[in-house]
Amino acid sequence: MSMPNPLPAKASIIIVGAGIQGLSLAFNLAELGVRDILVLDAGYWQGGASGRNGTLIRGAFSSPEWTRFFAHSCELWQGLSRRLGENVMYSRRGYTMVGERSATAGLLDRTLAVHKECGIHSHLLTPGRLREVLPALAHERVSAALHLPDSGVAPHHAAMHAYRRACEARGVSIHYRTCVTAIDQSAGRVSGVRVGDQRIASDTLVLAGGAQSNALAQMAGVPLDGYPMRLEAMALEPTRPLIGPAVALLDRLCYMHQTARGEVVGGAEVAERPQHTLNADVPVMAATARAYVEMFPQLGHARILRQWAGLVHISKDFGPLLGAHHALPGLFVSAGWCYGHAGAPAAGELLAKAIVSGQVDERMRPFAVDRFELNRPVVEPGIVLSHFE
Amino acid sequence: MRRVDLRLEHASGEVVGFFWNDRPVQGRRGESLATALLANGIKVLAWTRKSHRPLGYSGNYLSGVLARVDGVPNVRLDLFPVAAGVRVEMQNCWPSPAFDVLRLSRLIPSGWIQGGFEHTNLVPSGTALFQRWEAILAFLAGSARPATHTGEVAVPPARRLSAGRLVIGGGPAGCAAANEAAAQGLDVVLVTRGHDLARYARAAGLARPVLDERVTLVTGVEVFGAYREGALLLGAPHDPSLGALALEAEEIVLATGRRACPPVVPGMWLPGVMEARTALIMASEQAVAPGERVVVVGNGDQEALARRLRQLGVKVVAVRPLGDLRRVAGRNRVKAAYFAERIACDALVHSGPWLTEASLTFQGRAEGLLQLHEQRPCDWQLVGAAAEPDQPVPVAAPASRHTLLCPCFDVSSHEVQALVEQGITDLEVIKRLTSCGMGPCQGQPCWDSLRAWVSARSGIALELLARPTLRPPRRALSVAQAAGLADVVEPLK
Ligand SMILES: Cc1cc2nc3c(=O)[nH]c(=O)nc-3n(C[C@H](O)[C@H](O)[C@H](O)COP(=O)(O)OP(=O)(O)OC[C@H]3O[C@@H](n4cnc5c(N)ncnc54)[C@H](O)[C@@H]3O)c2cc1C
Repeated sequence: MSMPNPLPAKASIIIVGAGIQGLSLAFNLAELGVRDILVLDAGYWQGGASGRNGTLIRGAFSSPEWTRFFAHSCELWQGLSRRLGENVMYSRRGYTMVGERSATAGLLDRTLAVHKECGIHSHLLTPGRLREVLPALAHERVSAALHLPDSGVAPHHAAMHAYRRACEARGVSIHYRTCVTAIDQSAGRVSGVRVGDQRIASDTLVLAGGAQSNALAQMAGVPLDGYPMRLEAMALEPTRPLIGPAVALLDRLCYMHQTARGEVVGGAEVAERPQHTLNADVPVMAATARAYVEMFPQLGHARILRQWAGLVHISKDFGPLLGAHHALPGLFVSAGWCYGHAGAPAAGELLAKAIVSGQVDERMRPFAVDRFELNRPVVEPGIVLSHFE
Repeated sequence: MRRVDLRLEHASGEVVGFFWNDRPVQGRRGESLATALLANGIKVLAWTRKSHRPLGYSGNYLSGVLARVDGVPNVRLDLFPVAAGVRVEMQNCWPSPAFDVLRLSRLIPSGWIQGGFEHTNLVPSGTALFQRWEAILAFLAGSARPATHTGEVAVPPARRLSAGRLVIGGGPAGCAAANEAAAQGLDVVLVTRGHDLARYARAAGLARPVLDERVTLVTGVEVFGAYREGALLLGAPHDPSLGALALEAEEIVLATGRRACPPVVPGMWLPGVMEARTALIMASEQAVAPGERVVVVGNGDQEALARRLRQLGVKVVAVRPLGDLRRVAGRNRVKAAYFAERIACDALVHSGPWLTEASLTFQGRAEGLLQLHEQRPCDWQLVGAAAEPDQPVPVAAPASRHTLLCPCFDVSSHEVQALVEQGITDLEVIKRLTSCGMGPCQGQPCWDSLRAWVSARSGIALELLARPTLRPPRRALSVAQAAGLADVVEPLK
């Protein structure tokens, strides 16, 4: 993790963005034997969304497309410490989706059916069982709860540390505080990038710039769906364990868990005009706090240590934009991530394979970059996010 | 244990009984629990998270004054007034404060736990043992039992206050800024965290300033955060049963004064070390001395501070320039201060290095990040001590395991030195590798200590080392208080 060498004049692949997407991809490319991989990042290590998220890893959703992709990723998380040779601290503590309204109970029934169809291990919790799993919950408010026993959390500092170390051990060159300012093309394909005055040649370029993805696409002169969206979270002062699994309070668009450090970390979505800032605001903190007081009354006395914001890139259907860009040969994209922490191991693996061998895995295909132009959005009803009307 | 008597002559006579770890103790009406415990000779109030080092009432490290009060964890003892029958219990003990097995963790070599729990490769995930191991880590790191279940918790309604001029800080400079605006016919609100005006100035012997009666005075409220490019500020009363405050004003004046950050020398975290403001207010208002034999150090103002403490009846045994202090020694509390010579003492009061409160100004002008945009200028007015430049933080020469930059997380200068030697000088990165400053005080004062250390060791000028992002609400706000804000602050539409 020491100071990197000066920038090289060329690289076999340049990845813009050293968040978890960029690093996971770099690691998987190195594992496939690619050499001279260069990863460039404008900010500091973990300065992007990959150091600001809720760290939840959800292995199943309400649509078969999302479920197949994220179930694969969740499986990879479970063996990731061994693969990277560093501890990612993946905690297989389970993920409980809690519904309060009766309509939400209906959604959970339909979700369970999708999980069955995809061969996912999940089950509805009886009131008695829910009391054992989440004793601190205000059970009188609950209409239904669906539990994913294989899902969980992995602290982003551990995951980012492990990916970075594993990349460096495989000779990947990672440069933080290094902003890509232009993208070069020649003969109708990618030919390199520029960092200020310096030119770095490469015929393969991957945009993994998170919230800056549209700006990067613009530099390459290609269209890209999506826009930056601010998400916020907050951490409570630590206590000994009170909340076991990761929890989604579906009717409040709220997710949370108690970290291995004892802090309850989570956030609730509030409809707001999209903000392009890393300043946190008040409404999310207030809505999250309200969800906590009502659903976990013991948290009412707890004090809020800190709140923060991160920027993610949101596509029309909230799904990732993953694969080759149809408008510029040599250009690949990993963007549109609102669950990009959970999805990183699978995205890195499948995209690396697509880049090296040209084969597009079935689990990745639905999230093709040009799906909106082809009018093939992926409908996922089970995520805790919404567009601002 | 020898009976200590730290009560000064002017103490109030009204005795109030409460409990410390089930043992009855006595305080006096009007003082805080932290002061009352100190007056009883109880100096160790808490333990650090990982190595179980003792912490006490310092005025700097919040974790030193957090304890369980009547079933609620992490209550600030320095803000909670003594009341009859209150049950105060030490945290981070197991199975009990009297028989605490966790104290054995002081024997663990500090190298094993560097980098925090999250960077340990001891038990990797994916192995059969991991979930059990994680549960142990969570238990240890959590330090305190969750609040006792008492059914629903009431949400105190929040209030909105707007003003022509908002003054934050009720010292002489804040009062003057408020009076001046009131005289011009402006609608003025003055918010101060103290329960009364100018506590520090009065403790130092000055008169209570007179506040124009047209000024709306709000006391006992900590203004902890600035939002929406400084257009909205939030404050929270220390009393968690009262609602939070959303503040708006055409003009904002910060009269938040300064605080004395601990110099970076070994042992500065030991119980018995106290910041000058805290010591002075305690001795004057609450009539309790910081110790029986007190050493005073300062950046030029040490003689004046010592004189005032002596007037109040405190026994000051030595007065020295801050820069001469080499280390503070003791195992569970201060036993001596080392300068060119050793001076036996049980308390050390440091007047400086004086730093301004940086988080509000940071939030008022930052785009929240030092990441992709520049900071914007802040058009708030700074008055009084808040307008003075920060003093440099003295740094002792060798790296040491006893020099804690962040006591709450046991981050020592030794640990940070190892990173600096690898070429890692980005404070945001060091924060993420060590957890420095991520405890209850949220980087105040730890990031100042960290910054001073990295600058001294790397040769990088202080101005080029940006502090990590200062995030609200720094535990000033409870979850129930925050919930009340939903009714008074609309999302941006
Ligand atoms: C509050 C919050 C909570 C979240 N909770 C979860 C959760 O529980 N589970 C989950 O799976 N996901 C969650 N997410 C989403 C998740 O964090 C992101 O999807 C994921 O981190 C995306 O990774 P990334 O690598 O694509 O982006 P980032 O981590 O943002 O990385 C992009 C990088 O690109 C760099 N960059 C941009 N422009 C340039 C340029 N011109 N030159 C060089 N570098 C550039 C940036 O500096 C940045 O570091 C959450 C996000 C937030 C903000």
